[in-house]
Amino acid sequence: MVPHIEFDNVTVKYGSHVALDQISLTVPPKSIIGIIGPANSGKTTFLKCINRTIDFIDTAKVEGNVRVSGDDVRSLRNVYELRRRIGMVFPLPVGLPLSVYENVAYAPRRSGMHNRHDLDQLVEKCLQQAMLWDEVKDRLHTLGTKLSGGQQQRLTLARALSHRPEILCLDEFSIAIDPVTTMKIEDVLLELKNEMTIVLVTNLVQQAHRLADQTAFFNQSKLVEIGDTEKIFTEPENKLTYEYVTGGFG
Amino acid sequence: MASSNVADVRPNRKGSAFQSFRQLVDSVIDACEPIVEWMIRLSGWSAIVFVLAIFAFVFAQAFFVFENDSMIPSLWTKLDFVEFFTSVKWRPTSVVREQYGIVALLAGTGAVTVTSMLIAVPLGLGAAVYVSEFCHGKTKETLKIIIELLAAIPSVVWGFIGVAVLGPLIIDVTGSPIGVNVLNASLILALMSVPVIVSVGEDSLKAVPDSYREAAEALGASKWEVVYRVLFPAAKNGLLAAVLLGVGRAIGETMAVLMASGHKAQIPGGLLDPARTLTATIAAEMGEAPRGGDHYRVLFLIGIVLFALTFLVNLIADVVVKGIKGKQNG
Amino acid sequence: MADANRSQAGCYVVHSAEKGTAGPNFQRFPTMEEAVSAVAGQGSFNGHQQPSNLTKSNNSLVIAHLSNEQSDASQCRPRHRFYVDTHLLGSGGDGTERDPWPDVPTAAKHILSMAGDGKLNLRPNEQIVIESRKMFTATRLEKKKMRSQRIAKGVFFCMTLSLVIPVFAILGYLFVQAWPALSWDFVTLNPKRMGTEGGIWAPLVGTFFLVLMSLLMAAPVGVMAGVYLNEYAKDNWFNRIINLAVVNLAGVPSIVHALFGLGAFVLAAGMGKSLLAASLTLSVMTLPVIITSTREALAAVPKSFREACWNMGATKWQTIRTIVLPNSISGILTGVILQVARAAGETAPIIFTGAAIFLPVEDNGVGYWLPYTLKSEVMALSMHLYTLREQINNAPLAMQYGTAVVLIGLVLSVNSVSIALRVYLRSRKKW
Repeated sequence: MVPHIEFDNVTVKYGSHVALDQISLTVPPKSIIGIIGPANSGKTTFLKCINRTIDFIDTAKVEGNVRVSGDDVRSLRNVYELRRRIGMVFPLPVGLPLSVYENVAYAPRRSGMHNRHDLDQLVEKCLQQAMLWDEVKDRLHTLGTKLSGGQQQRLTLARALSHRPEILCLDEFSIAIDPVTTMKIEDVLLELKNEMTIVLVTNLVQQAHRLADQTAFFNQSKLVEIGDTEKIFTEPENKLTYEYVTGGFG
Repeated sequence: MASSNVADVRPNRKGSAFQSFRQLVDSVIDACEPIVEWMIRLSGWSAIVFVLAIFAFVFAQAFFVFENDSMIPSLWTKLDFVEFFTSVKWRPTSVVREQYGIVALLAGTGAVTVTSMLIAVPLGLGAAVYVSEFCHGKTKETLKIIIELLAAIPSVVWGFIGVAVLGPLIIDVTGSPIGVNVLNASLILALMSVPVIVSVGEDSLKAVPDSYREAAEALGASKWEVVYRVLFPAAKNGLLAAVLLGVGRAIGETMAVLMASGHKAQIPGGLLDPARTLTATIAAEMGEAPRGGDHYRVLFLIGIVLFALTFLVNLIADVVVKGIKGKQNG
Repeated sequence: MADANRSQAGCYVVHSAEKGTAGPNFQRFPTMEEAVSAVAGQGSFNGHQQPSNLTKSNNSLVIAHLSNEQSDASQCRPRHRFYVDTHLLGSGGDGTERDPWPDVPTAAKHILSMAGDGKLNLRPNEQIVIESRKMFTATRLEKKKMRSQRIAKGVFFCMTLSLVIPVFAILGYLFVQAWPALSWDFVTLNPKRMGTEGGIWAPLVGTFFLVLMSLLMAAPVGVMAGVYLNEYAKDNWFNRIINLAVVNLAGVPSIVHALFGLGAFVLAAGMGKSLLAASLTLSVMTLPVIITSTREALAAVPKSFREACWNMGATKWQTIRTIVLPNSISGILTGVILQVARAAGETAPIIFTGAAIFLPVEDNGVGYWLPYTLKSEVMALSMHLYTLREQINNAPLAMQYGTAVVLIGLVLSVNSVSIALRVYLRSRKKW
């Protein structure tokens, strides 16, 4: 089986600073991979390599190969198509200065979906999956930027789902959301696993434990250990991993 | 939106004709992307083209003679460069011997610029500090708007004010026989360049992080001490740039000085002497200089001198501003 | 102890400055040590009140060094000031206003030890004051600072006023002088007899034409250049040169623009002195400011919006078109409108490139509304004012002032539109 995401000896440098150091890992389709690690260990850079938004950082230099469904992302002619296949949620909520409806309909419109009926359905479905529908269904035409921080974060999630991605990358998505909603979204993620591959970067170690099929531990730009979640959390091979998952790190 | 369920459905039900039209427009605009991007690129590069073109065309008019659609490089018959840069005598229309020395004009520009800056810099920086540090909310907005409007008054109107309002006033107060002189032009120029100084100065004060102010005030420094000991040192590059931009504006100003300075080609001996600047000379004489003649081409040469002067001032200002930005980032 | 020996020469007085009570509320001591001990409540003190602590009405104690028996303690100059605050918790403090001692005995103890170290050299006619510090009141130092701050604010305020007041005075004066000439006819009639009679219609229309034409050419190029510099340009040497070019283009004197217009458009391009050449010159002049203001407007749109769009697979141009431009259009418009005002007021760039001193214009019909063609020279309001003042000898003063006021009014109203637009759009900012 072709791995859905494959990192082959990937090194990323910002100028002289090494952000990712010779990372190699594979993610099988329709699974959740949890990425844990302390701050500044290269987790976000890892995500940016997958959908090639690393291109927008002028100083970044990427070596090695990142493959999605077997295709090297750097050899792709249509990078926008790649990004449409990957949903991305970053830690800070960003509501675009459009209405809630248009926020979610943005990506489908850009890829040529204009039928109002289809859009309505899609928007509703995405907002429901992001646990936001009940709160905003009466005000779909207020500005997305006027929602609260937690709502904007779920709006970002709904937007990431709006182009029906095959890979969903979540970067510490639960920072701005209350615990109850977080748990609900976690349930949704487990459901979504049947449709897509999920890359879950989190600093809540237990969240990775709850959701991930396999877990990777990053530290200081290096991949320290990757393995089945149970193994990582019960009998990791590396001492650092053990310290980190048990909370004794540092 | 009051009634909820209706409200979020209604805007969705726009006519299908409109829908498909919008779809068409969207796809057309997206299809134009490569063309648009190239137009954007070309426009971006146009700035360089224009700067080079300005220099090239002014240079061409100064150093070439046009005959039958072909450019012939040509030197002046009656001008030598030593005289151009060292002589005080500007007698372009003399019957006996034309003389083109720009020292008096440079002195005029210098006198007017320096005097106006002596007035404008303290006032401008003071006003910048006041607007930036001592007032808030409505007062601040109002003052900024007034200063912005001050910047909008056209230079020919300033010139008119100089001649018609300030001139008689200067005669009354000082007893000087003429009202259009260095003092008049300097006052007018000061009022004209103050808005630049205030707005750039205020920007650079605003750019000093609030944490600096808070830290200083937490140590018990008064606002004045904060301004004097914290803001001025931290914003000094920006303030310097503000002053330089004011200088640039003063050197390049044409109509106001043409009208208010008295327009006499001599080295001014005092504030009440009339003077003549480089810019005013071009504006006043270009119309009468026969095309292609020495006088005409010398005026273009003065244009090159002006171009170089302001280029230098702006370059320094830019480097100074970049200096602050670099420091803040690093 | 040298200090103690010297102090025997004088006479020390503990003075409890109680308000409202007359009579002797003090006692004399031969040495400072004894005086201070009395303050601390250890020595003998037979005044009306044992000053071991300070009260509201009795809020200071003085230890004065009198030069002779007759002199008055109230005439001594304070040499040292110490502070006591009984509300203070803890036992620390160094007696300063910022960090006072907790009570008078502590104060006395510290003063004694300081005197022992020779730090308090009280000369005759000097005194030590022990005051109770009031809570939450400004300290003396702070009061001094507040005073200097008020002065500083006053000075800066005067500097600002000295800019604002003359301008209002001058504008008011212009308006008063222009009042006799201002009428509807003044605006709608064509100038007659070289502008000494009639109105200013033709120059007004000319200014309108010049501004419109220059805007049509400068605005698209300027806005696109701004988009390029903010959205597309990477930080490399080439784009740094472009930035430098923009900065310097903005600084080129208007008269040099005029020379450029003369050389390039009038002569080299063969347009002659014409509306087209003058508008082109004006548009080159206004270009850099449109570029800069566009850039600033675009830079005000947060980068996170762009990243969100890119992450959803939007192309750069789609992102600019759908998110960046709609949210910066107000700022861009503000900059463009400001350039309208500037172009309307400029004189120098059009003198040799297209402005005429006087042109006969039809008083009726199409020729009244559209008096100029691309190839013809134009009259302009700014040039007209210059002409009336400097080129023609017998123009009535009121007409000169009238022209100036109309020009100012035109420019200021365009500016006001820009400011109003900015204020309005800022009030409904979307994030």
